[in-house]
Amino acid sequence: MSEISDTGSNMEDAKKPSRFTSGLISLRDWVNDRLPIMTAWKKHMSEYYAPKNFNFWYFFGVLSLVVLVIQLLTGIWLTMNYTASAETAFASVEYIMRDVEYGWLLRYIHSTGASAFFFVVYIHMFRGLMYGSYQRPRELIWIFGMCIYFVLMAEGFLGYVLPWGQMSYWGANVIVSLAGAIPIIGEDLLVWVRGDFLISGATLNRFFALHVVALPIVLLALVVLHILALHEVGSNNPDGIDIKKNKGPDGKPLDGVPFHPYYTLYHDLAGVVLFLFAFCAIVFFAPEMGGYFLEIANFQEADPLKTPEHVPPVWYYTPFYSMLRGVTYPLFGIDAKFWGMLVMVGAIAILFVVPWLDKSPVKSMRYKGWYSRIALLMFVVSFLVLGVLGTQAVSPAKTLLAQIMTVIYFTFFVAMPWYTRKEITTQPPERVTGRWISIPQLLGSIILLVLLVVLPLMLVSGSAEAAESGNIDLDHVATDYDDKSSLQLGFKTYMNYCVSCHALGYARYERTADDLEIPHDMVLENLIFDDSLIGELIENAISEDDAKNWFGATPPDLTLAGRVHTPDWLYTYLRSFYNDPTRPFGTNNKVYPNVGMPNVFHGLQGDLLCDDHGTDDPTQCELSHVDGTGSMSVEEFDSTVADLVNFMYYIGEPIRSRRQEIGVWVLAFLAVLYVLTTILGREFAKDYH
Amino acid sequence: MTDDSTNAGRRRFLVGSTSVVGAAGAVGAAVPFVGSWNPSAKARAAGAPVRIDISGLQDGEMLGPIPAWRGRPIFIIKRSAEVLSALNEDPERLTDPDSNDPEQPEYAKNETRSRTPKLLVLVGLCPHLFCSPTPHIELRPQPFDTEWRGGFFCPCHGSRFDLAGRVYSGSPSSRNMQVPPHSLEGENILVIGIDEETAA
Repeated sequence: MSEISDTGSNMEDAKKPSRFTSGLISLRDWVNDRLPIMTAWKKHMSEYYAPKNFNFWYFFGVLSLVVLVIQLLTGIWLTMNYTASAETAFASVEYIMRDVEYGWLLRYIHSTGASAFFFVVYIHMFRGLMYGSYQRPRELIWIFGMCIYFVLMAEGFLGYVLPWGQMSYWGANVIVSLAGAIPIIGEDLLVWVRGDFLISGATLNRFFALHVVALPIVLLALVVLHILALHEVGSNNPDGIDIKKNKGPDGKPLDGVPFHPYYTLYHDLAGVVLFLFAFCAIVFFAPEMGGYFLEIANFQEADPLKTPEHVPPVWYYTPFYSMLRGVTYPLFGIDAKFWGMLVMVGAIAILFVVPWLDKSPVKSMRYKGWYSRIALLMFVVSFLVLGVLGTQAVSPAKTLLAQIMTVIYFTFFVAMPWYTRKEITTQPPERVTGRWISIPQLLGSIILLVLLVVLPLMLVSGSAEAAESGNIDLDHVATDYDDKSSLQLGFKTYMNYCVSCHALGYARYERTADDLEIPHDMVLENLIFDDSLIGELIENAISEDDAKNWFGATPPDLTLAGRVHTPDWLYTYLRSFYNDPTRPFGTNNKVYPNVGMPNVFHGLQGDLLCDDHGTDDPTQCELSHVDGTGSMSVEEFDSTVADLVNFMYYIGEPIRSRRQEIGVWVLAFLAVLYVLTTILGREFAKDYH
Repeated sequence: MTDDSTNAGRRRFLVGSTSVVGAAGAVGAAVPFVGSWNPSAKARAAGAPVRIDISGLQDGEMLGPIPAWRGRPIFIIKRSAEVLSALNEDPERLTDPDSNDPEQPEYAKNETRSRTPKLLVLVGLCPHLFCSPTPHIELRPQPFDTEWRGGFFCPCHGSRFDLAGRVYSGSPSSRNMQVPPHSLEGENILVIGIDEETAA
């Protein structure tokens, strides 16, 4: 101890420790005599020697711990306002998004964290495969890691059910139904898992308990085991050689550096900040991530009677989902569904036994032969292609591609004992190398990977897309949060024409008035037509039974219509009602044929006529306005609807503009922190090289 | 030497600045977690000021306890002339006859603890351990006080208050009952929870 302080700085006089410091030291020693905290600190941090040649891929183990902490914290905080019941779950999520201070941020961090978790874990697993980190003596680390991955998949699935949206409900329905594929006991098992004859509140409540209590405990235990097992045998490295073979006279590995502070502070800190930068960029600027992190259909409440048109799982399950769908042949008199499930489960299970499939004398891909390299490349290609296919609707060509890729996926594992023995390997060096892939090699690999993934997908895309694109060209409308007068006009139009049927039941008058800069008195006098107080939700007095009688269906709440539909869709839809005497209300819609809604704007817009060229298909309509009808000109009406759509887009996510404002500050802050931590790391890392 | 010392200075600066910025980040990260514990928009809406029509309230009558403002029981009493004259007969019996403790808005810090002499508005909770005292408005002896001049008696621990919510000496409570912020709209609409002072 004393040598370090003597040789450390010439500037500082040898000071006696202050009373406070010496008090802390004696407290530490007192505890250490009873609980070996210092021993543990040394074993796992300050005297845990990690190879000094960790590269980019080695960030992701630490990052998965970071995400785990993020998920635990935000998850605990979300349970404080979430209510797990079929009647209230969906509303409680919107309550968190709107009424709870910073609730939106906690929720977006948690939903983004779920995807981030899988992202870092997938890269972490790929690194293990590439550098042979699963090989003897690290088999148990790999097994624990795979258990973590498996529990994570369960955790992600259960968590996705909790918001009780359409995707929650139907996703749960699909996955839980797999239990029903098991011969003989399947049907009974299915009822038992659901606790009901359909996915219901009973299912939701047990999923909630598992998601927030049971599985996190298991997950934490597994993480501890994963790290303990790692620290017992030591970390692998990109060269796949054992650093403990070359020790200095002090008994420390020559190629090792103490995990703390070298990796913790000087190496990983900047990496963690960079990760947080990317993470926050998504949280603040693209929390839905184009529908891949938060699926659009999940902004509609669960409806057991209506399946969404397309039920893809979240992106991190799609490779396995593709395999499930790809199995289309019944075998031995048992359903294809059962075999599909078996393939899907097998695809995960086979990863567990990789340590015993790899017969190579070397660990790292750097010294393995070309067979292994090509096999790993094709494995990654198959995983990515299956992943992309799983987000798309099926077509015969896509199913065929999924089947081919499934075969490649399994070949990687099944042929591994053969090709790892057969290929020519090179002798790894005695000491670790600091080398890193060259830029041409890196670019070449990326280009090759992209080509191998994109080309097959392009081959199969054509036909299916053509069938889907029977869509109508939508008219474009610009939305603007800052245009308060447009939002005010939209709010006024909504309150005058829409709210009597369509409540905005998750939004409150007060917040809307404040955001739109309308004085409360003015809202109370001019826009609230019942005896609601300013702080209340924008509800209406229409009874569900009456509504059902009048319109055949209860008019839906439209708070989230601006998230479910694009502004362009809403804008075009609202302007595409035309006269059709065959319909109950004498009107039909080009964008939403045979919709059960009358044209409430008829008085403003006047008559539209449809020329469907004899096809009898509303979507083929060529619409024309009858001059002189309607109290507004075409331009006035378009502008009124544009304001209304702007308002609906706003009310779908009132926090949107503030979220982005905060996001700019957060990213700027993280950029500064990144620069500091990078310089700090470089400065101190000099001591170790 | 110089190399070493610039190095040390540079290092000290880096550690210091990174720690300060990092600590600021930690505080920033705590904001949503701390903030989310504040009352939500729903709770604030439920705790918003309430308007009560008191046109039907006769002299000597009490409205309440009503679960009004922020879920607390509210007592509204229209005191008769008899009650008002009895209020300050014997200030010696009261702990805080002049309402020196800040248990009432400024405008109720007077002899009758009210905006207008007649109308008494109280949060119906004993400041001792927050039981709700029972009103005994009649000016006649009670089992718990032979010289009772009307007021409130807390069944939990026996605190006694007069008809201005002021606590009698010898009660477990040492404070007067709270007068909530309130205002009148015209003659008959009493608004509890907001007054000219709390209005933004």
